[in-house]
Amino acid sequence: MSCDELSDLYELYALGALESEERAEIDAHLARGCPDCQRGVHRALLINAGILSCAPDIAPPKRLRKRVLASVGVETPAWGWIAGWGAVTAALLIATLWYSAISRQRTEELAIARRQVAQTDAALARVQQVLDFLDAPETRQVSFGAGQPSPPRGRVLLNPAKGVLFIAANLPALPRGKTYEMWVIPKGGAPRPAGLFQSDQHGNAVHLQPGPVDLSTTSAVAVSVEPESGSAAPTTQPIIVAPAAGS
Amino acid sequence: MRIFNVLFGILILPALSALLRFADDGELVAALKQRDPDAMAKLYDRYGRLAYSIIIRMVRNEAAAEDLVQETFLRIWNRIQAFDDEKGALGPWVLAVARNRAIDYLRSAEGRKIETALELEALEQPAMFQSVESGLLNADRVRRLKRAFEKLTPNQREVIELAYWEGLSQTEMSERLKQPLGTVKTWVRTALRTLREELGEAVVA
Repeated sequence: MSCDELSDLYELYALGALESEERAEIDAHLARGCPDCQRGVHRALLINAGILSCAPDIAPPKRLRKRVLASVGVETPAWGWIAGWGAVTAALLIATLWYSAISRQRTEELAIARRQVAQTDAALARVQQVLDFLDAPETRQVSFGAGQPSPPRGRVLLNPAKGVLFIAANLPALPRGKTYEMWVIPKGGAPRPAGLFQSDQHGNAVHLQPGPVDLSTTSAVAVSVEPESGSAAPTTQPIIVAPAAGS
Repeated sequence: MRIFNVLFGILILPALSALLRFADDGELVAALKQRDPDAMAKLYDRYGRLAYSIIIRMVRNEAAAEDLVQETFLRIWNRIQAFDDEKGALGPWVLAVARNRAIDYLRSAEGRKIETALELEALEQPAMFQSVESGLLNADRVRRLKRAFEKLTPNQREVIELAYWEGLSQTEMSERLKQPLGTVKTWVRTALRTLREELGEAVVA
């Protein structure tokens, strides 16, 4: 066959889709270096590649790349996975730290709020106690400090069932490590401790010593400055002495 | 046939991007010959998707397609030393090897493997792809090829499909389509001439 007759067969030849007789013809032309057939086959290879390139595009699974490279002894680095897991771990760590910080902050805020509520509850209870005390008809009241130049002034209220209520203003500022201690002084007896208290920044104080008190045997109520832990008996000269029978 | 034609148009761009790199393959071939591990990764990244697309189009079985892609690249790796890195057309070679692996698989399923395997072997020898000016197969020319394909009649498209994707000879097409051999040959000849008219002149020049 002539090259011209073979010219329509080059693509099928390159595809391996020719009948054996026709294939043998082209093989023979190529074997003797026929330039037309060589050029024709080269062109056919390109046309075939072009047509094959138009296959519907389908992405292979990712594992195939690793498999192909492994088959020729090329190991794919695991950096992608390591980086991925590293990023996930870092994100989790950051999230954990953030959550931990937020949680700690919330816990602290909650503790503060609880303390404030407890303090408010205690203050309310104390106010209620004071009001109950004042409302009680059997409460006896004595004043102290009136008429003095710069004295602590106030009142002491005694109730046989509820105890002693001390209300004062103009209390002197306490030295560091000191506190006020109230004393109930019986007639002819030694002062009995009746609780520790502090004044506010303006020198005001309200102190309630609950419990029964025998008004008939009580001589006076006094306040002295004592160490923070309190004393069993006054260690300083009392700054206030209010006679129980004063009013 | 219609599906193929539609997909031919819609999905042509990824293939074009691979074709555009045909001309830059010389350095890659040299690196492959030196057994550079990165070169094999580059080769796969350049042609793996296209090879898989061709093979899955033919065998329509994912597991088999993965096996055949692996076989394709292993074959390229093992035969690269005989490939001319200055005059060889790597892309067309890889695609031909990929197609031949799929044809081999299809024919094996039909019990025809032994008689055709040697023929396919001969057609994918590296020497076959020497002096093939793959740089001429650029994106513009492949678009022209696509347009030319659209001009084909349904019968012409069908015989081209049977030849490229199923590897049938003209006699086998005649039997499959129950048409006279002469008619089939006319369809094939006319179809290929149409394709060459769009692509061939520039390639031959």
